[in-house]
Amino acid sequence: MVNLKEIVSCVFNIDIAKVNNELSRNNTEEWDSFNHLLLISEIEKEMKVKFTISEVEQIKTFKELREIIASKKD
Amino acid sequence: MISSKAIRGIADYFNLYKKIEQGIEDGKIQSEKIIKIAILSSFTTKGLKETLFVKCWGLGISSLFYIGEYNQYSQEILNKNSGLYKFDPDLIIIFIDIKTIMGEHFFLPYQISDEQRKEWVNENLKEIQSLIQKIKKGSSAKILLHNFEIPLYSPLGILENKQKFGFIESVEALNVSLRDVFKADTQVFIFNYDSFCSRIGKQKIIDYKMYYLGDMKMDLQYIPELCSEYLAYIKPLTSITKKCIVLDLDNTLWGGIIGEDGLEGIKIGPTPEGRPFLEFQKYLLSLFNRGVILTINSKNNLEDALEVFQEHPHMLLKEEHFATMKINWKDKISNMKTIAEEINIGLDSLVYIDDDKLNREMIRDSLPEVLVVDLPEDPSLYLKALMEINDFNTFQITEEDKRKGQTYVEQRKRQDIQKFATDITKYLKKLELVVTIEKPDPFNIPRISQLTQKTNQFTLTTIRYLEEEVKQFARSDNFLVVSIKVEDKFGDNGITGVAIVEKGANKWRIDTFLLSCRVIGRRVEETLLAYILEMAKKEKANILIGEFIPTKKNIPAKDFYKNNGFKLVERKDDKTEIWEYNLRKDYKFPDFIKVINR
Repeated sequence: MVNLKEIVSCVFNIDIAKVNNELSRNNTEEWDSFNHLLLISEIEKEMKVKFTISEVEQIKTFKELREIIASKKD
Repeated sequence: MISSKAIRGIADYFNLYKKIEQGIEDGKIQSEKIIKIAILSSFTTKGLKETLFVKCWGLGISSLFYIGEYNQYSQEILNKNSGLYKFDPDLIIIFIDIKTIMGEHFFLPYQISDEQRKEWVNENLKEIQSLIQKIKKGSSAKILLHNFEIPLYSPLGILENKQKFGFIESVEALNVSLRDVFKADTQVFIFNYDSFCSRIGKQKIIDYKMYYLGDMKMDLQYIPELCSEYLAYIKPLTSITKKCIVLDLDNTLWGGIIGEDGLEGIKIGPTPEGRPFLEFQKYLLSLFNRGVILTINSKNNLEDALEVFQEHPHMLLKEEHFATMKINWKDKISNMKTIAEEINIGLDSLVYIDDDKLNREMIRDSLPEVLVVDLPEDPSLYLKALMEINDFNTFQITEEDKRKGQTYVEQRKRQDIQKFATDITKYLKKLELVVTIEKPDPFNIPRISQLTQKTNQFTLTTIRYLEEEVKQFARSDNFLVVSIKVEDKFGDNGITGVAIVEKGANKWRIDTFLLSCRVIGRRVEETLLAYILEMAKKEKANILIGEFIPTKKNIPAKDFYKNNGFKLVERKDDKTEIWEYNLRKDYKFPDFIKVINR
């Protein structure tokens, strides 16, 4: 299965090395509102998880994204 | 590119789009064909442009886009000076979604009466029609108009169908009316979006979360599928149309191997394993009936294969359906080239269908122009694969198209006399050629346009014209549009030659001069030239100018001016040749051709 970092790197078209816990909507130009939805759509498709609308609104950083996905996989 | 291979979703298209754009900007890559596409929609369609761009690029087409402002389509269409018209598109896609056009009635449909619903359908139909009329005044682009997704649910539930004029019925009625009012319109095509939604699944086409978060009326992940369906229209617009299917035999046209399993052993007919092949043949026959040429390229003993066509009780396709059969032990690549030569079409007009993966790879590698179909391993999926090919589309099917299969049989007979006739003039005399010269009219204009779109070999300038453009030429006093119909003792070839000439006061200029490959080599083009010369003389011109623009394919037309009394006067940028004919000179066309002037 494709991992989360790869998806983030592909959607934002940024180097995979730059994808870390500090990555956030505030410090990443590519993480705009459209790409945010694109990211969610790709993760749902590739990782077979579903987010709620509130979760999509809440997620602001890569760390939060990872944690929410982890909580769904338990 | 960064990890684009990791996932296969819509994000890949965004990345590829950026990469190709950059490549074009840097001058590293380019494509010969260009199409300008305008997209007008009632909601944000981000992703559509990027995906369609990448898909077009895959076909060798570079695409330019004009994306209308979000839900401003009416204003853009009504304003003559809008960006839409300045962009001068070749294709306009209009995508209005059902929720937008219905507004509150979508959720509260039974707040209005049956009568008011009827009124709603009429009003919307009129509004759409008047917008389309406006576009047609300002643009000759093909218009691809989406119809509407028929809703799955009704607040009335099981009683929905008991209404005098119900909510779901009203959307159905609008779709039916849209289809009907544009049926005879050659510029407007209805895109059956409702059918597209059904194909994807109406429960899947909308992702409600994305709809509330980003006003996405369609799940982003299905944009590539939508774009693939648009390609069915873009291909004929850019003259990328396939004309001929090249078929393998064993395990493609029937199950099993004739050389090993024998006539009784192969699978074709009314058994579970025979039916997939039978229905596959049925669909091939229906393509043949719409004008697609069928041929065979198979490694087999000719007698074994012919026995199947002649003796097997369940074979639907017979020898008479194939323009040529290459059944031998030669390599498939040279067979493929011979097929193209024999029926006189380019390799890029061929579609190759073979169950053998290695053969497919070999053809793909050595003849990249040929479209190779990835036939699924399981024969029960052959029919589906065949039905999904959207490369045979043309914007009109003319009478000439429908007769195409027959035409090739006649062609074979002509070639038989040619073998016996010792010199070419004797052979041509035996053909008893009759050329009918015709002025443009509503019946031949679609064919004239089609010939400019499809002719690649005997064409002096290879300029493509849409039907609307031909109509404009025909109406103009400054242009002469003429076509020729060619008949011989074996049959009618239909309209197979076209000329468009610009009339100046003193000098006339041949803009387009072409001949369908079916009639090349019969000197009928000389009667067409003679007619143009006669008309030019009649209207007191002195000089007829002809241009020759060389392409990879128009070698058969290369010496036309030289051989017909023109003088080379100029060579532009090492390519285009300018030739002149002095109208004081007499011109004679072959006396064995009978000419009828209509």
